[in-house]
Amino acid sequence: MHLSRLFAGRMFHGSGELGADDLDLGMGVVLIFLAMPGVLVSLLMFEKYGSLIRFLRGDGTFDPFTATIPDEYFFIVLSMVVSCATALWRWNSIFLDRRDYVSLVPLAVSLAKIFLANLFAIFALAALLTVVVNAASFVLFPIAVVGSQGSFSKLFRFAFGHALSVSLSSAFCLLAIFALSGTLLACLPYRIVRKVSVYFRFAVAFCLLAPLATSFTVSSILSGGSKLLFQRLGGMPPWFLGLTETLWGNGNDIFFASLTRRAAFSLGLALLISVISYAVSFRRAFVRIPEFADVGPLPRGRRFPLPAMLLNATILRAAKLRTCYHFVSRTLLRSEAHLQIVLAFTALGLVVAAQTINSAYHPGFFFAAWPPSVALLSIPFILTYCLLVGIRLAFEVPSDLSANWIFKLWIERDGEHARQIARRVLLTFSLGWIAPLCLLYSALLWGWLTALLPTGILIACSMVLVEVLLVRFRKIPFTCPYPAFQSNSPLVLLAYLVGFGIFAVYIPRIARWALETRLGAVGFIPVILLSLAGLRQFRKQMLDMDKQLIFEEDSASRF
Amino acid sequence: MLTGLLQPTRGQVLFEGRDIQSDLVSYRKRLGYVPEAANLYPLLTGQEYLEMVGTFRAMSLAQMKSKISSLLELFSLFAHRHVSLGSYSKGMRQRILLIAALMDNPDVLILDEPLSGLDVTSVLIFKNLIQAFSALGKGVFYCSHILEVVEKVCSQLLILRSGHVIAYGSTEDVRRRIGQSSLERIFLELGEDADVVKVANEIVDVVVAPS
Repeated sequence: MHLSRLFAGRMFHGSGELGADDLDLGMGVVLIFLAMPGVLVSLLMFEKYGSLIRFLRGDGTFDPFTATIPDEYFFIVLSMVVSCATALWRWNSIFLDRRDYVSLVPLAVSLAKIFLANLFAIFALAALLTVVVNAASFVLFPIAVVGSQGSFSKLFRFAFGHALSVSLSSAFCLLAIFALSGTLLACLPYRIVRKVSVYFRFAVAFCLLAPLATSFTVSSILSGGSKLLFQRLGGMPPWFLGLTETLWGNGNDIFFASLTRRAAFSLGLALLISVISYAVSFRRAFVRIPEFADVGPLPRGRRFPLPAMLLNATILRAAKLRTCYHFVSRTLLRSEAHLQIVLAFTALGLVVAAQTINSAYHPGFFFAAWPPSVALLSIPFILTYCLLVGIRLAFEVPSDLSANWIFKLWIERDGEHARQIARRVLLTFSLGWIAPLCLLYSALLWGWLTALLPTGILIACSMVLVEVLLVRFRKIPFTCPYPAFQSNSPLVLLAYLVGFGIFAVYIPRIARWALETRLGAVGFIPVILLSLAGLRQFRKQMLDMDKQLIFEEDSASRF
Repeated sequence: MLTGLLQPTRGQVLFEGRDIQSDLVSYRKRLGYVPEAANLYPLLTGQEYLEMVGTFRAMSLAQMKSKISSLLELFSLFAHRHVSLGSYSKGMRQRILLIAALMDNPDVLILDEPLSGLDVTSVLIFKNLIQAFSALGKGVFYCSHILEVVEKVCSQLLILRSGHVIAYGSTEDVRRRIGQSSLERIFLELGEDADVVKVANEIVDVVVAPS
């Protein structure tokens, strides 16, 4: 029991991966974060299904088992996404590693005990997460929908069906991630697992975000409740929706029964594979840890020296700037913790971009139509915004703080190094590949001359965005502890959302207007120049003390 | 404070008669520093780390490359130069720190427990290296708890206790003044209140006591 508690705690607090300082928010805060999406969506259901609101809408009587299908689908998707995201976040802590081996194996604890304790911890944590993620909707959603109908049996049937479906979908996702992680460890050499796991997680995150991003569209399709559409949906969420339907009284329907069977089968299979893969990985990886060298993070990026040479000869001519840039870019590309953040935001950007094209698509939609579609113009803006924000957030995650003495020793505190380095990293990692792609696909669709304008606008606006993101920045990325949680953090989050609206929605519209009028493009130049001048003036007015390079801030432990 | 990483609340650190805080950059250029713990960025390779230090030290590219290669070879790390520091053993990391401290021909070396984790051969090489370095007229500030090594390589001795200097002078002088034959005895005489034999016996008593 002590061991299981230790392992469960480790899964929550992080495994202390080599080179990365895990963000330890504490169990309470993590559980609140996980429960929040369910609470918020459930509260929205009161507005949608409240008896007074329905009365005012003239929608007095309704069948809750039919009317709520789209919402039930959304709850299933949400539950799957939150559970999966949690498991992906804690991917490295799920299975035992070298630290566990070194601390536990020399003690008088049998391997079988360690094996069972971690297995128990995994399942206990899966059960806890399942309950936490869905707890609010277990109670609030049935009350919001059926509470006013005065029938306890209906309320119970609705609540039971909903609770079981979302719980099982959540459990399925957690088990599927455990199974995937275990299978990788069981089948591939440890070195390769370390190298590919982050890309696997990126792929899983993309697959997860896709149903979430399309859930509103799907929900509106589902309003009709057509079985044909159920079939067309594909993927796992409809299976669990079939399970809900069965539990709500449509069990005799062959179609729903088949979906329910699929859900039960997939759940059983995920459970079976996760146990087997865990057992095999335990035998293959954990028991044999002393036989493997502690490979640590794998150096990457030596295969393509040309881009580095080009950068060195152009924007990185100053020696200190160059060396700091290479340190930051190497950390960003090699550290799993940092790459995970950047890839998560990239996946988000890709999904939003796909959803934008999907929502704009209609029969007769022509990609090369003139004037260009705003949806198509917005793709590079969406990707750039997500990537820039992702990298900027990754900058806040420290990498081996105790090693930052080398920067303390050599970088002058009153220099402008921090912003120069961060600016170059942000621009090269985003515009470095998005701008040429934007130019290429715009040229293919609308011709080279037309392609120059949206690409130019993208580059100019990205430069302004980078300046905004770095306006108060004064650290060498990765060399400071997490910034303390600040009272204005919700405002910052809101600012990011508003920023997305401006950058990825309104600027592409302006770009289209500029393409149509041509003269509009000229108007962009003073706007960009004024924005840059304003930001420069803002920094000028800042106290010198606030511009100095820092290496320490209050730790996030105050959070 | 000696390296300039911390600002003294009072007093000065003088180098060639000048306060190091007045021109930290040029002071650090002449300083080689090996910290107590071998804290290095585990995501960089040995070569990348040394190149980073060389660039910070404003070494020319050609000089940096040749020094790094030669020193890596001499410290038996050349074959591991493209391996990430996270996979290095403690001794290997310590050797990287030594190379980083030595590569720019410093005038002052500050070494904080530099032998920690080193293999026997490296320790022997290092002891001779310190003596060869001081013979060149360079200052070596050697901080250690391993008294046998201190006794062997240091000409001047400074014993600190709770931040206060309790003995300072040449090793021979201090020995003569205290009237003890070895540094270990001097240290016990000046620095430690505890009866080490008694404490050791008490530990054994606790360990072997029946539960």
